[in-house]
This record gives sequence, C-alpha cells and structure tokens, in this order.
Amino acid sequence: MPQMRALGPGSVSSFLKTVLDVVHIALWFGLVAAILLIFIAVVVGFNPALLGELHVNLPGLEAPERWPLVVGRLTAFSIYLFGILVIVRQWQGIFATLMAKDPFDPVNVTHLRIIALALAGIEIGRYAVFVARAVLRPGGHGLQPGLSLTAWFSVLVVFVLAEVFREGSRLRREAELTI
Amino acid sequence: MRIEIRLDQLLLDRRMSLTELSDRVGISASNLLILKTGQARAIRFSTLAALCRELDCQPEDLLVYRGE
Repeated sequence: MPQMRALGPGSVSSFLKTVLDVVHIALWFGLVAAILLIFIAVVVGFNPALLGELHVNLPGLEAPERWPLVVGRLTAFSIYLFGILVIVRQWQGIFATLMAKDPFDPVNVTHLRIIALALAGIEIGRYAVFVARAVLRPGGHGLQPGLSLTAWFSVLVVFVLAEVFREGSRLRREAELTI
Repeated sequence: MRIEIRLDQLLLDRRMSLTELSDRVGISASNLLILKTGQARAIRFSTLAALCRELDCQPEDLLVYRGE
C-alpha cells in the first residue's frame, strides 16, 4: 500500500491547498453576491414600489417594511463571509509552505495569529449580531447568545499552535546557523 | 556571552584561502564565511575537529571568549 505523504507536491497538503483555492474563489463569489444583494436591498428599502407586486418571503420577516433588517442580516453575513475568507487565505499560505516542505517558515506564525484573531472576531461578531437583534427586534428568534466554548477553545489552540510554529522556526534558524 | 572565531588570523598564518579550507574540510565556503563573520549560533564538534585538523591547531587557538 503506497504511503500517504503529508508534505510536498502531490501530497495531502497539495490536495488540501487545491480545495482551499476552490473554496477561496467560491467565497469571493459569495461575498460579491452578498454585497450586490445589500445594494439591491438598500435600493428596495428606500423605494419598495420598485418590487411592484413581487412578494419576498424571508424567514422571520413578515412585512416588506422590514427591509432595513434584511440589509442588516446581509451585512452581518458579508462580514462573516469576509472573516471566513481571511481564514481561508491564511490557510492557503500555510499549505503553500507545507507543499514547499518548509512548515517552519516564520510567515506561518503570522498566518496562525491572523486565523486566531479572525476566529475570535467572528465569535465576537456573533455576540454583536445577537445584541443588535435584541435591541432592534425584541422577541425575534434567531442566533443564540450562548458562549461557545468550542470557538474560544479553537482560538486558544490556534494561538498556542502559532507559538509552537514560532519556536519551530527559531530552532530551524538555529540549525541553519549551526556549522 | 560572545565567542569569537579567529579563522581570519589562522588562515593568514597558514597562507590558506577560505576556498581552500572549504575544500579540505568539506564545508561550503558560505558556511565558513558565516563562521568567520561571527554569525554562527553553534559549531559542531565534527566541524571543529576538521578545522583543527586542517589548520593544525587546537580548539583554543580557534575560539576566544570575549565576555559580555
């Protein structure tokens, strides 16, 4: 049975890098689509007559005069997509170094720290959306405010991983300067 | 702590070039340059032994402790 390689061209890293490239492009399309929808929602929000007889049924939105909420939701979704895009972009950078068989490149420390910050940002954004919903639309259903231990645990794990990579790159540098 | 490598002086005394030493000890000239310019973080015993052998010296002739 052929051994599965983790690093280098033609390895699992290479496959995952390809997957990330596809996801990255899809996320860009999604983000552009979401921004276009925001634009449309803003235009329709100011002039609902533009829709004519068209009725839009969105979960939790009973009446067309709720367009500002649609804009808010789409904006929150766009910010979330942007956060995911940032994370995917960093992973692409990390997997590029794995493909080059150089996992302890110092640049990976920055990539991991940005991932951790983005994860924290997304989680804080979730709380912000909940607070905004509670203020703007009391009694509405949707996101739960519960503290997600998994999310914060992930943030801490990624920060620790960043430190592991920092130590790894330091050792690599020392090895390079050992004659 | 600062350890200096007196490669320059020993090469001068032996009338040997860095390239020649590189060929003799089997260490690249760029690595020897790192040693010579004091950028190295550590030196292997095998490298030290090869340098002492080719320069016909003792480790104390190569390494000098300069303190803080």
